[in-house]
Amino acid sequence: MGSRSLQREFSRPTVLRSAIGPLIIAALALGALVILALLLSETPGRTLRYFFLGPVQNTYYAGNMINTAIPLIFGGLGISLAMRAGSFNLGGEGQLYGGAFVTTISAIALGSWGLAGAVLSLIFGALTGGVLAGFSGFLRKQWNTNELISSFLLSNVVVLLVSYLIAGPFQDPETNLIATRRIAESFRLMRILEPSNLSSAVYFALLAVVLVHLYLYRMKSGYELRMVGLNPMFARYGGIRVSWYRIWSMFLSGALYGLGGGFAIFGTYYASVREFSTGMGWNGLAVALIARFQPVAVIPAALFFAYIESGARSAMLHSDVTFEIASIVQAVVFFLVTSSLLQRLGTKRRSV
Amino acid sequence: MELAVELRAIVKTYPETGLRANDSVDLQLRKQEILCLAGENGAGKTTLMKVLYGLEHADSGTISIGGKVRRIASPVDANRLGIGMVHQHFMLVDEFTVAQNVVLGSEPRMWAFAYDSRKAERLVDSVIQKHRFSIRADAVVGSLTVGQKQQVEIVKMLFRKVDILILDEPTAVLTEQETETLFVTLRALAEGGTSIILITHKLQEIMAVSDRVAIMRQGSMLGEFDTKAVSEREISRLMMGQSVSLNVIKKPYTKDKRPVVEFDSVSVVKRNQQRPMLDNLTFTAYSGEILGFAGVGGNGMGVLEAVLGGFLPVSSGSIRHNGTEITKSDTFGVRRNGLAYIPADRLKVGSALEATVAENIIVASRKKFSRYGFLEKRDMEQHAKALMQTFSIQGESKVPIGTLSGGNIQKVILAREIEQFRDYIVCCEPTWGLDIASSKFVYERILALRDQGAAVLLISSNLDEIRALSDRIAVMYRGSISALLSSEDAQRATKEELGAYMLGISVQEELHG
Repeated sequence: MGSRSLQREFSRPTVLRSAIGPLIIAALALGALVILALLLSETPGRTLRYFFLGPVQNTYYAGNMINTAIPLIFGGLGISLAMRAGSFNLGGEGQLYGGAFVTTISAIALGSWGLAGAVLSLIFGALTGGVLAGFSGFLRKQWNTNELISSFLLSNVVVLLVSYLIAGPFQDPETNLIATRRIAESFRLMRILEPSNLSSAVYFALLAVVLVHLYLYRMKSGYELRMVGLNPMFARYGGIRVSWYRIWSMFLSGALYGLGGGFAIFGTYYASVREFSTGMGWNGLAVALIARFQPVAVIPAALFFAYIESGARSAMLHSDVTFEIASIVQAVVFFLVTSSLLQRLGTKRRSV
Repeated sequence: MELAVELRAIVKTYPETGLRANDSVDLQLRKQEILCLAGENGAGKTTLMKVLYGLEHADSGTISIGGKVRRIASPVDANRLGIGMVHQHFMLVDEFTVAQNVVLGSEPRMWAFAYDSRKAERLVDSVIQKHRFSIRADAVVGSLTVGQKQQVEIVKMLFRKVDILILDEPTAVLTEQETETLFVTLRALAEGGTSIILITHKLQEIMAVSDRVAIMRQGSMLGEFDTKAVSEREISRLMMGQSVSLNVIKKPYTKDKRPVVEFDSVSVVKRNQQRPMLDNLTFTAYSGEILGFAGVGGNGMGVLEAVLGGFLPVSSGSIRHNGTEITKSDTFGVRRNGLAYIPADRLKVGSALEATVAENIIVASRKKFSRYGFLEKRDMEQHAKALMQTFSIQGESKVPIGTLSGGNIQKVILAREIEQFRDYIVCCEPTWGLDIASSKFVYERILALRDQGAAVLLISSNLDEIRALSDRIAVMYRGSISALLSSEDAQRATKEELGAYMLGISVQEELHG
C-alpha cells in the first residue's frame, strides 16, 4: 500500500471512521425494512410501530432482547478473536451447539458438586468448542488446510451428531420435547428483569468482552496474536511462533462459542433442546463483521441484531407479517457488511 | 531494417515513491532479432517491458508496433498485437496438464460450449513438435522441472501466435544445459520470424545469444549496440557506471577478531529445480568487521538472506554461531540466539504497517516489555519515543507505522534491530530507496556497530555502498562465492573489477580471506 493512501486512511479520527460505516449499514437495513413493510403488510404503520418500538415497550420485551444478544456477544467475540489472528472460524454453529450440549450433560452428571460443578461444566463446554475449532487450526498448521472450510464442514458433522445424541441416548423420557434432562435448579443463573428471560449471564458476557479486549490489547500473547494477523511474515521475522497462533486463536474462538452455548443453557434453556441454537453461530459472525472485529463494538452490534429479531417477533404478534421479515433484514445487513469488508480486502490485495 | 517495435521517449514515474523508473527511454526492436535488454537491478528494464506489455502505463511517450503507433492498455491489447511476455515467475496452474495450461483462455470447443480436451492436446502437441520441445501435452505441469515449465510458458505464447516475445530473466532458475536448450529454441524462433527481447544482466548470455544489446542504467537508455562490436568489459562498465565515493569515514580495520557466524558448504536445493539456489557456500564472518556480499539479482543474495533469517531450511552443510550449531534453527530460534536483522523488504517483512510504531519497535524485545503476561504500555511508549528521538525519526509513536515515510520506517527498523543486537547483524539493502541524508545516517550506525565489535553481514546490490563500508567483500555468482576479497583488495577494488566478478567474467583464481 502506498504511503499516501495509508495516510488518507488513517488521517480521519479512528472512532468516527469506524462508526460511520456500521451506521450507514444499519440505516440501509432499516430502510429495507420500511420498504418490506409497505409491500407486505396491509397495515404498514402498525407493523413498523411494533417493529421499532415493540422491543423496548416494556421490561419483558427489552429483557428478552438483551437475552437474545448474549450468545451473539460470545460468538461475535469468538469470530473477532480469530480474525485478529488472520484465521476464519466458520464452525460457530457446531461449536456453540456442542459446547451447550457438553455443558448440559456435565451439569447433570455433576449435579451434586454445587458451584464447582457449574464452573467445571462451563469449562467443559468451552473446551469442547475450543477443541473443535482448534482442530481446524491444527489442520492448517500441519497440512495448510483452509480452516474456513474445515471448521465449517466439521461443524456440520457436530450439529448432526449432537442432534442425534439429544434425540437418542440423552433424551429425557419424561418430556415431549426432543431434549435432554434439565439441569438442577441450583445451576440456573439468577433471573433479572422479571418476567423476561434475561439472566445474570449478561454480566458474564460483558465480562468476556472486557477480558477479550484486555487480552488483545494489553497482553503480550494478544499482541503476538494481532501481529500474526496483521502480517504473518513480520510476526515470524520477530520470532513469534506463527503456526502455534493458528491453533491457539482458533481454540480461543471456539472456546468463546462453547462458553456462549453453556451460558445459554445455564441462563435460559436449562436443557439442550434439539437445534435450539440454530442460527446463533452465523449471527455471531454477522455481529463480528458489523463490529469490525473490535471486541467492545461487539456489544452494540449484538444488541442491534437482537433488536431486529425482537422487533420482528413483536411485529409478528401484533400485526400481519411473519417472522421471516427478521431474516430478510438480517440478510441485508449481512450482505452489506460482507460486501464492504470484501471491498476492503480487495483494495488491500490489489496494492500488494 | 524493418522494425517490430519502436518505443519513443517513454517516461514512467511511480507515484508511490516518486521514483522515475523510465526517463525518456527509446528502444528499437528489429524484426527477427534477439535483443538483450541489460542493466543492473532497478535500472528500469522490467518497467519498460511492462509498459510495452500493457501492465504499466507510461506517463508519456509512444509505442509503435510494425510501424503503427498503438495504445496498449492491457496485456489483452498486447496479445492482440502479437506481443507475449514470459514472466520470471511462471503463470501456470500446477494441477492442469500442459495442454490445459496452454489453451487456457482460448480453449477449443465441442458443441459450442464443452471443452474439447482431445483437440486441445492435438493442437498443443503440434506446436511442441514443430519447435522440438521436450515436453508432453498431457503431462501435469506440477510434475515438470523448472526448465520444462518455462517451455510451457513459451509454448503458450507460440500457441497464441505471438511474434514479439519478451522474456524476463528467463535463465535465472535454469541450469547451464537448460539455458543452452532455451537459447537453441530462441534462435530457431528468431529465424522462424519471431522478434525477441530478453531481459538479462548476465554477460555471457548476452554474448551467446543476442544480435544486439540495449543497456539501461538508473532509468535511462545508454544505447543500443551490435553485440559483435562491443566487449564484455565495455558492457559491464556501462551497466555499473562510474564509481561514486560515498564519503564515509571509516576507522582502520583491526586484526583482533573471532569468528561469529560460520557457513560450511551450505547448499539450498528446491524441489523440481536442478540448479541449486545456494551452492556449497562457505564463509566466516568475524567480529569487528563488515563482510559485504555483492552480486546481481538471482545469484543467491536473497536466498542467503532467507537462510540467515531462518526463513528457509538448508539442504546440506552447517551454520555455526559462536561455535554452536544453528543449522536447523528457524526464525524463532535464530532470533532467540541474538540475530539482529534488517530485511531487504522492509514493508512486507520488516514491519506490520497497520500496527503502531511502538508495536513495531518491540516485536523482538517484547519479553522485556511484559510483566506477568501483560504489556507495560507506558514503558513501550517511552522506549519508542526515546528511540525515535535518538534516531531522529519524525512522527508519533502511537500512529500506524505505515503513515511514516519510507526513510523513517527504515530508521525505525534500524533502531529496533540495533537495540536487539548482541553480536551479529544482517543488513540487507539497508539504504534502498532512501535519500542521501538518511543513507548516510544508516551508514554511520552500521559502522558504529562494527567499531563496537559486531559482525556485520551486509547484503547489498549497491556497489558503492559495498565498497565504502565493507572490510571484506564476498561476490556471489550463481549461488556461490566467485570471489572473496581480503581487506587490502577490498579497499582497492574498483566497481569495474567487482562487476567483472559479479557477472562471471572473471573468477578469482584462489579464494583467500
